[in-house]
Amino acid sequence: MRLPRFDYLGPETLDQTLDLLATHKDDAKILAGGTDLLVRMKKGLLKPKTLISLKALNELSYINKKDGCIKIGARTSIADIIASDLIQKKAKALFQACEKIGAITIQHDRGTIGGNILQDNRCHHYNQSDFHRSGRQACHKDGGKICYAREEADRCNSTCQSDGATALMTLNAKIILARKGGERTMDLADFYTTDGIMPFAMESHELLKEIIIPIGGAQSAYKRLAYRSAIDYPIVCAGVLLKLSDTQKNEIDDVRIVVGAMGRSPLFLAQASSSLKGKKLSDTVAFKRAADIAMDNASTFAVHNVGATLEYRCAMVSQMVFQALEQAALAARE
Amino acid sequence: MEKIKITLNINDKPYDVRVFPNDTLLEVLRDELDLTGSKESCGEGVCGSCTVHMDGNPVRSCLTLAMEATGTKIKTVEGLATEDDLSDLQQSFIDHGAVQCGFCTPGMLMSADALLNKNSKPDEKTVRKALAGNICRCTGYAKIVEAVAHTGNPQDHCPDCKTGGKTKE
Repeated sequence: MRLPRFDYLGPETLDQTLDLLATHKDDAKILAGGTDLLVRMKKGLLKPKTLISLKALNELSYINKKDGCIKIGARTSIADIIASDLIQKKAKALFQACEKIGAITIQHDRGTIGGNILQDNRCHHYNQSDFHRSGRQACHKDGGKICYAREEADRCNSTCQSDGATALMTLNAKIILARKGGERTMDLADFYTTDGIMPFAMESHELLKEIIIPIGGAQSAYKRLAYRSAIDYPIVCAGVLLKLSDTQKNEIDDVRIVVGAMGRSPLFLAQASSSLKGKKLSDTVAFKRAADIAMDNASTFAVHNVGATLEYRCAMVSQMVFQALEQAALAARE
Repeated sequence: MEKIKITLNINDKPYDVRVFPNDTLLEVLRDELDLTGSKESCGEGVCGSCTVHMDGNPVRSCLTLAMEATGTKIKTVEGLATEDDLSDLQQSFIDHGAVQCGFCTPGMLMSADALLNKNSKPDEKTVRKALAGNICRCTGYAKIVEAVAHTGNPQDHCPDCKTGGKTKE
């Protein structure tokens, strides 16, 4: 498959990159690892006039600990994150998620964490070749007015299948978006619009620069389900952040449950999370109940568009959440 | 759109080529430089038959722009053997019958070679994990895994192997 034509720009510094983004705006796309972008371009889903490569921007590749937070440069490769002791110890969910991203021989050395968060939403009706899509009317995401995933839907129902995004949202991560002459910090949870066509609250002249994960005393875990152990996107995934009470032994103070691959963005499930407040670590009945609430709530967002049947995916939400809860509880006990 | 002149370092030899910005590394290797060992099958990073090394790490050459490969050391399947001798890994593939139609083999070899460079004595589980991104549609995985594991652990007895658990003399 040939790539469509484009101009290639290779800025040397962050300032140059932001200048170029400010000039080209919508015509340009950022190329980091290319493992998602180039596939979409080959399928004709994207036809940018210009690609701005981050190849020379080693200043965006770092993992360090500062001000009680882990700071990760957006161009840090998945392999570097997996190899980091700091992430393994203090952000277990991100470590577990990154281990599952793609395959060692593709995404881990080329793929970047920034690219993983910014991977576009997917739908098996949309992520198809030009030829496949040319045989029928365009869907919402393709610029048309039809949704093949849900009949009569008036908007796009594409699914966010990023492992990294679900794990980072579990960990209460913040992100820094840089633009020419400034930058802004926002919660990753606020970064998502509920629009399947443009899922990110980000301007075309902005660049994802840094990811900030607060280090608390909490334990985290991440579980995902996919057909193939490598390469496949998750069909359901769940992250759990669990904090124990300071005063009561083995009592849960706060839990954060996030479910991914079930909606247009990773879903923070408030009702399921708060149902575990004040429960004992050994209370598996409460875990099961929380997992069932998570399943009920997440199911309302999902449509049948990522491979497995909707019934199966919904049923597996409860399993993934339960397993992640058990894993986090086990880690908290140690 | 004009072609741009770049230099690629492939198998320790410099090659001057003129490429379009939208040429992938695989297209340049196969069409411009006649290094046709690396294969294109899916073209979207799923199958692994186009795997080459960039600075020692396995990458998909079909999802890497040729422009992005400048300044790195590229190793293709042609770089595994010396002029008169196959590498231990290649010999092991032959001894174990790990090649059927052979289309996935260059990618399998490169993924396995990257693993063996990092972990010289991998166990079966490690081998399976490292090769998880490569597809063999003849489904000859068992032989391939054996061949790779045996290259790393030649002292282990291997009943299926023609060399009978001995390394190549």
